[in-house]
Amino acid sequence: MSHTSPDATSRQDPSATSPGGAATPGPIIATRSDSGVLGSRVDVAGLSKHFGSVVAVDDLTFTVDPGRVTGFLGPNGSGKTTTLRCLLGLVEPTTGTATIGAQRYHDIAHPARVVGAALEATGFHPGRTARNHLRVLALAGGIEESRADETLELVGLADSARRSVGGFSLGMRQRLQLAAALLGDPGVLLLDEPANGLDPEGIAWLRGFLRYLASQGRTILISSHVLSEVEQTVDDVVIIARGRLVRACPLSDITDHGQRLLVRTPQTEELIAALAQQVPQARVSRQDDGSLLVEDVDSPSVGRAALDAHIELHELRPATSDLEQVFLSLTGGAQ
Amino acid sequence: MSSTRATSAAGATVIARRRSLLSAEILKVTSTKMWLGMLIGVALYIGIGVVATIFAPEQPGMPMPRLSTTEGLRNLFSTAGSGYVFAIVIGALGMTQELRHRTLSSMLLSEPRRNRVMVAKMGAYAGVGAFYGLVGVVFGYALALAFLPLKDHGDIPIDALWQIAGGSILGCALFAILGVAVGTLVRNQIGAILGILVWVLLIEALLVAFLPAVGKWLPGGALSGVLQSTGFNGASYLPVWGGALVLVGYTAVFGVIAAATTQRRDVS
Repeated sequence: MSHTSPDATSRQDPSATSPGGAATPGPIIATRSDSGVLGSRVDVAGLSKHFGSVVAVDDLTFTVDPGRVTGFLGPNGSGKTTTLRCLLGLVEPTTGTATIGAQRYHDIAHPARVVGAALEATGFHPGRTARNHLRVLALAGGIEESRADETLELVGLADSARRSVGGFSLGMRQRLQLAAALLGDPGVLLLDEPANGLDPEGIAWLRGFLRYLASQGRTILISSHVLSEVEQTVDDVVIIARGRLVRACPLSDITDHGQRLLVRTPQTEELIAALAQQVPQARVSRQDDGSLLVEDVDSPSVGRAALDAHIELHELRPATSDLEQVFLSLTGGAQ
Repeated sequence: MSSTRATSAAGATVIARRRSLLSAEILKVTSTKMWLGMLIGVALYIGIGVVATIFAPEQPGMPMPRLSTTEGLRNLFSTAGSGYVFAIVIGALGMTQELRHRTLSSMLLSEPRRNRVMVAKMGAYAGVGAFYGLVGVVFGYALALAFLPLKDHGDIPIDALWQIAGGSILGCALFAILGVAVGTLVRNQIGAILGILVWVLLIEALLVAFLPAVGKWLPGGALSGVLQSTGFNGASYLPVWGGALVLVGYTAVFGVIAAATTQRRDVS
């Protein structure tokens, strides 16, 4: 994660990355090297944190790989923020380690150039302008002050640079947090609930922005308590509940977990019989609204079975909301 | 040879980092309006103090040195140092508002070496305190010199004026550092400010005035020594250098304790 080119400052028109322009996030940040990977691996190993008798994080182990967006998921109070604070040296682990590029945060010589973090959107003095907030952090981190203006442009806040943060909406504060995280052009981004408070347009913008940052080889970890908020953004998921690891895997491992189809037909009984005959492995259950939920079989098989039996289908589609169901059952199962 | 060069280069980097950290802390102060409000407070407080000292009628039973004496004139001019109350309060505010607004965590992300952050903050607020001290001296002296001709007074002790000016600036700088330390230890903003005000304006003030044998060893009493004030019934305090040493000692002890407790504390 060599940081090489503060001089390469060719940054694109920020409008390209502003809300609505998510489709074409061009060369937003100076390219540093062609080697691809500039992010470091994030390692959490046997991490536990007790606050008095409360166990916030319990023997947690996972890794976050460079060049991928990893969703750090779990219900509120499951230990996500505490884990991030351990990684950032703000909280002392009770046991275990949390390292970035095999180094503890305290031991990184120029942490702001290696790791960018956005913790909850409350870390602002309401009377300070957005620009001065970033200038303070740039000075403290040994980063050129000009980066304050550059990152404000990146997140689409250039017009509000000289306004006091006290008057900012939650979405604007989230963008300012993101700008602060990007000050040092870091290879690792740890973002705590970055989609909180963003409107749908803002979420779409954030999605494109994060995908672009990851495509540069950065390591990106974003926490959320709502899977649907990040499911179109993340490659991998780390799911925790009550401070313990539930799953750490590629997102596809969860989504491909058994195919679930929603089928609607006026001939319900006939279809159930046809499916039992033609695709006996299918599990069929009746839904409250009269449709059928068909599992463990693909949609062509269902369609062919219906055609062969001359059954009229009104609807045949993947049961989409189930990812959240999977998430809820996974996190609920840990209780 | 080359390792020496490398070491000195590393040393230069550390110095540059510390300097920019100090700049960050100074920018924090100047980028909000708190310092200005407190400065107005300093001027009002000292203005009232100077005018009251010149024009207040004699209090029977509480004999203070009169303006016809050198002691009385020293007391008048040392009113210029009373901005130290605001210096300690702004120091405490500077620290506690970082905790209140949770800006400390983003600061520690930029520089996780907490000792450096504490030293920079104390340095920045020492500067703010010294500035308040300087403004207090200029403003207080100007008022005193403007109003003194209206009353009978003795010869103005020019040497003492320089000494009191230096003592005021140093004292305000040290009290601002003390404020940062108290804010770090108390953490709660309202608790820290209330505690400081009750201590400085009530408990310590009473001890310094009515029990100078004890009071002169307290921070406020030590400052009275630095400013060479004279109390009721001609009570005297520590000599200038004694007072300065005691004050530096308090600042050092509280500063070190504050920095030490910050080292491993969890930051939310």
